[in-house]
Amino acid sequence: MSSRDVILKRLRKAAQPFQDVPPRTEHMAMVPDAPQTPDDLQSRFVAEAEAVGCTVYCVTSQEDAVTHLLEILREHDSILSWHESHLPISGFCEALQSQGKTIADPAATDVRVGITGADAALAVTGSLVLQSGTGKYRLTSLLPDLHIALVKASQIVPDFETWIAQQREDHLSAFSESSNTIIITGPSKTADIAQELILGAHGPKQVHIVLLTSA
Amino acid sequence: MHNDARNFVALSDVAIADADLRSAVALATTRAYDKRMVALFEHSPAYGEAIRQQAAEAKRRALRNLPDLLEKAESSLTANGFHVSWAIDAAEARQRVLDIIRQHQGRLISKSKSMLTEEIGLNAALEAADLQVIETDLGEFIIQLNNEPPSHIIAPVIHKTKAQIRDIFVRELNMTPTDDAGEMVAFARQTLREYFVGADVGISGANFIIAETGSLCLVMNEGNGRMCTSLPNVHIALVGIEKVIETLEDYATLDQVLTRSGTGQKLTVYTNIINGPRRGGESDGPEHVHVIFVDNGRSDVYATKYAEALACIRCGACQNACPVYRNVGGHSYGWVYGGPIGAVLTPLLEGLENAAPLPHASSLCGSCKQVCPVDIDLPRMLLDLRADLVDEKVDNRWQMGLKGWALTMQSPMRYELGAQAARLGQRVVGTDNLPGVLGNWTKYRDFPGFAPKSFRQMWRERERSHRKEQPS
Repeated sequence: MSSRDVILKRLRKAAQPFQDVPPRTEHMAMVPDAPQTPDDLQSRFVAEAEAVGCTVYCVTSQEDAVTHLLEILREHDSILSWHESHLPISGFCEALQSQGKTIADPAATDVRVGITGADAALAVTGSLVLQSGTGKYRLTSLLPDLHIALVKASQIVPDFETWIAQQREDHLSAFSESSNTIIITGPSKTADIAQELILGAHGPKQVHIVLLTSA
Repeated sequence: MHNDARNFVALSDVAIADADLRSAVALATTRAYDKRMVALFEHSPAYGEAIRQQAAEAKRRALRNLPDLLEKAESSLTANGFHVSWAIDAAEARQRVLDIIRQHQGRLISKSKSMLTEEIGLNAALEAADLQVIETDLGEFIIQLNNEPPSHIIAPVIHKTKAQIRDIFVRELNMTPTDDAGEMVAFARQTLREYFVGADVGISGANFIIAETGSLCLVMNEGNGRMCTSLPNVHIALVGIEKVIETLEDYATLDQVLTRSGTGQKLTVYTNIINGPRRGGESDGPEHVHVIFVDNGRSDVYATKYAEALACIRCGACQNACPVYRNVGGHSYGWVYGGPIGAVLTPLLEGLENAAPLPHASSLCGSCKQVCPVDIDLPRMLLDLRADLVDEKVDNRWQMGLKGWALTMQSPMRYELGAQAARLGQRVVGTDNLPGVLGNWTKYRDFPGFAPKSFRQMWRERERSHRKEQPS
């Protein structure tokens, strides 16, 4: 008999534990008073993202977004980026090229800045949800020192539970189509050395969020 | 991992004498405890408690249907492209890992923190097979350099001060000496980066497996776990069979009570949900992802009144809350898991006779149950284990003592003889350092001396003198 069958057989032979646990009726969200209106969602998201150490730039137009990006990227010549079709702004690559900057091979391990879009943002935790896919590389938000995420305000949902409810409406396709869903809440950090909080343990030391409020 | 739980008392003595250890552990545990209080009850105590019960029920529902749920998880994981295999014990788990590494000709292994791999002694087995394995969680990296096991579920190097960590880096890796924690982290970041990029195989544990979606979930702050599961072409996850949960909604609750209870964070920096190997069109992520379901004693526990212990989500809150753990640290418990959950799990997984002191390593104050995000009744299990120790005659000193006491108390003559013997003994050895097992009392406490004369003696003398005064 295989180990699998032995394990399952042993478990089935045991008296079933916890028979008195009731079936789930309602599902309470971790945060009961999550914001719902667009304005509240945005202000809560910005506050929470800043509280966990992100820098948030609110911009009202695509041109503003590009201007801000170029400002952040001033000292970087080589840049990792998701494919432009997954970023919520257009004309970005041309603007980069006009400044003499190049988009690096997505597998490059020595580039110091990475630009991604996001698939959703969570207001009550200040989090970004990124799904892997064609042109949506995992490493872009992981290897560089600086991660810049371009997010539309309309992508902000109240919380993790709401995002899950949306996935269910979408037949959980995210879990079969993407190999990786990463929820990012602030820059990489550690407190392993004597409880001192240090940013940039292994992942990005800084996370900048460019939030397009009119898009 | 070698089990030294039988030496709990001796190990605790060493820990208690170590001032650095005690201050490091006290600082970290109190801070984590306070942050948890704020995070879990930020809305209201009643709401926090209701969420805790929701989490407790989610985990128990999963355990109730564990065999069916494991089969469901296996089929969803397989549909997502994972390779699923099973290991009945530590030896089989180690062998499966080695087989997979050999199949892919792996040499360098980057490893993300996993308590299960400590349990099965994985690193030693990999090193014995001439493979290089690097622990990449910063705390784990430090203790691997210092050749020690972790001493806390989520903060493995909780027992070391900054100066001690500096000395380890200087001694083992020639770091330029610094007292700045930021510089030490930067040094480790740079050192580990080349291992991340060069590794052929990444190894991790799992915090949860979601049966309905076939997903493997890992929480982390540093990002090393993302590196180990994204950069190498092969990822192997070792997963205890109790880690399977039913739905995404259950995951939302359990993940958030885990992070709030463990570190006081609303979410950890990375909530990493892995749905299998890279899909067509994706250009990074491993092409082969293996899940090994490991039993290693869990199915035996499942059949006992201790099944509740399998609900543990390894947040470490009971360790932070425990007055015993706060004083003696994790290594005193002699095996992988310290603190209240360790005092229960070690006897269950390693055998009661190999962990006899641990059920007594508790004042039964109840803090562990109170802080547990899935409401595990740890004090109840500690008491039941104590009863088992007596029933199974693992430690019969207490029983023998009580028998002797009963025998003495049943006869006035034996009682008096016993009392006389005690007074005689007191004159010979005193009461400052009682001999044998009684010394456990006088080592830390006073033992008030016996009165020079017993009540019976005084009574007899009084009667005698009365008779003299009133001759009939």
